[in-house]
Amino acid sequence: MSFFETYGDRLITAIQVHLFYVLTSVTIGFVVALILGILLSRIPQYAKIIMPILSIFQTIPGIVFIGILFLYLGMIPATVIIALAVYAIFPVLKNTYTGLLDVKPEYIEAAKGCGMSPLQTLFEVELPLASPSIITGLRMSTIYTVSWAVLAAMIGLGGLGEFIYIGIASNNNQLILAGAIPSAIMAIILSLLIDVLGRFIIPKGLKEVK
Amino acid sequence: MIRFESVKKKFGDTVVLNNISFNIEPGEFVVLIGPSGCGKTTTLKSINRLITPEEGKIFVNGQDISKVNPVKLRRKIGYVIQQIGLFPNMTIEQNIGLVPKRLKYNKSEIKKITKDLMEMVDMSYDEYAHKYPTELSGGQQQRIGVLRALAASPPIVLMDEPFGALDPMTRATLQEEIVKLQKKLKKTIVFVTHDMNEALDLADKIIFMEHGEIVQMATPDEMLANPANDLIRDFMRKSSATSDASNLTAADFMRTNAISVYKKRSIRECTDLMARQHIDSLLIKNEDDTYAGIITIKDVKKHGKSSGSIGEITPNENITSDAGENAKDSFDKLYNSGDNYVVVLNNDKTIAGIISKTSMATAMADTLWGDMQ
Repeated sequence: MSFFETYGDRLITAIQVHLFYVLTSVTIGFVVALILGILLSRIPQYAKIIMPILSIFQTIPGIVFIGILFLYLGMIPATVIIALAVYAIFPVLKNTYTGLLDVKPEYIEAAKGCGMSPLQTLFEVELPLASPSIITGLRMSTIYTVSWAVLAAMIGLGGLGEFIYIGIASNNNQLILAGAIPSAIMAIILSLLIDVLGRFIIPKGLKEVK
Repeated sequence: MIRFESVKKKFGDTVVLNNISFNIEPGEFVVLIGPSGCGKTTTLKSINRLITPEEGKIFVNGQDISKVNPVKLRRKIGYVIQQIGLFPNMTIEQNIGLVPKRLKYNKSEIKKITKDLMEMVDMSYDEYAHKYPTELSGGQQQRIGVLRALAASPPIVLMDEPFGALDPMTRATLQEEIVKLQKKLKKTIVFVTHDMNEALDLADKIIFMEHGEIVQMATPDEMLANPANDLIRDFMRKSSATSDASNLTAADFMRTNAISVYKKRSIRECTDLMARQHIDSLLIKNEDDTYAGIITIKDVKKHGKSSGSIGEITPNENITSDAGENAKDSFDKLYNSGDNYVVVLNNDKTIAGIISKTSMATAMADTLWGDMQ
């Protein structure tokens, strides 16, 4: 019996679950990060203190964090999604924040001088100019999340991690690869999709500079 | 149109505007000038409330601007900055149409405005309107910067050293264009610069500032005739030295420290002199101080003897020009001859100085980029 006949269905389910975790948590993380990044960029004097503190959380190993959340929330998908979303926040947050701060002051001054309100300046000038940086953050978040989602299996919540854990436990290389290869492919495909997204979002005028 | 009444502004402990009062009439082209830190930019930015003064009142069109919503105020005042600040994420048309769009003009109106304005500066709408700023040269970008400021036909346009970052040729063209636009559109323009030439060329009135105070407010002619203090005189002098290259004479560019000797000097003395001064030729004078020619180290070698006077060697001819000759003609001579320098002679045929290729280069650099010293 071939490998796919035995594990095919389970593998497809695992890929679906894995993808679900990644997409939900990256979406949540991205929205939170974008809002936080915008807010922090309005108060750079405080952000200088807040950002390093946030980056400390980033250094807590994912396994510890999922473990702690598991104790409080139990074995539900929300545990995994919250944990992954928290980790997905940081790359986007950092890139949104620096991207917004890197917008040259002359553009902000020109926008003010043209009678644009702060909100108009944000949406029509600052965010478009920061978009390449924000998209880069999103790509990083997504790729990280694909690999972190493997941890879901640690608390018995499925995903491609299941194959990897079982493979390690039973010393079955085939199973390990059955988990690792699809997640690598998933990371590559998602990152390509984000490139396509970037092509739509990043203003044309910015691309010609490069 | 714009009136300042005892306006004061401090940044920390530094007073940047100290009791400024002035009045600008509708349609006037007013240039604010002065050394760095004199408060000219602060004055400009107070007009569209990018900076808010602590004391005093500013009226635009009879309205106290501290009581006007800054966003609304700025839509009625065009603004051009030195760094141009065209939004790179927007096309040329979107950049120009920015303020009209805020004021709810419809698309076809915006297109018409863009087209008309671009025509005024000889830029083809079809060619450029849908390009992005990075696809344009610096001069073209700043043209669009100016057009953006004019798009919603504001009665007032503020310009903060708009041409400061452009090369001299482009700057001159844009200065001409802005004068034309101003004549045609009858805007009130407040223009900041540190370049007196620009001020003299453009202004109806110049406001000269120093240490946050107005030193003099006058027409260019008045200021030229009666500068209020030495600093203004200095600004004027610097600018006039480079102002009109066509009036400069050979005397303006010559080096007066050229080394010359009388014919009776001994050859040995002359070769010593050349060695000490690291030069390979000397200007030879007759006893009556008139110019006789030049002698090079080669001529001395050919002569063979180091005894006797330099007068025994026949001096070579070298190109000469009169001190009052147009500098360009002297440069032409130098350029077209094989000689290393032009000997500049006074009316009585005595030596005034020399113009070497180095002084020619320095002179050109001066005219292009201002005083090189």
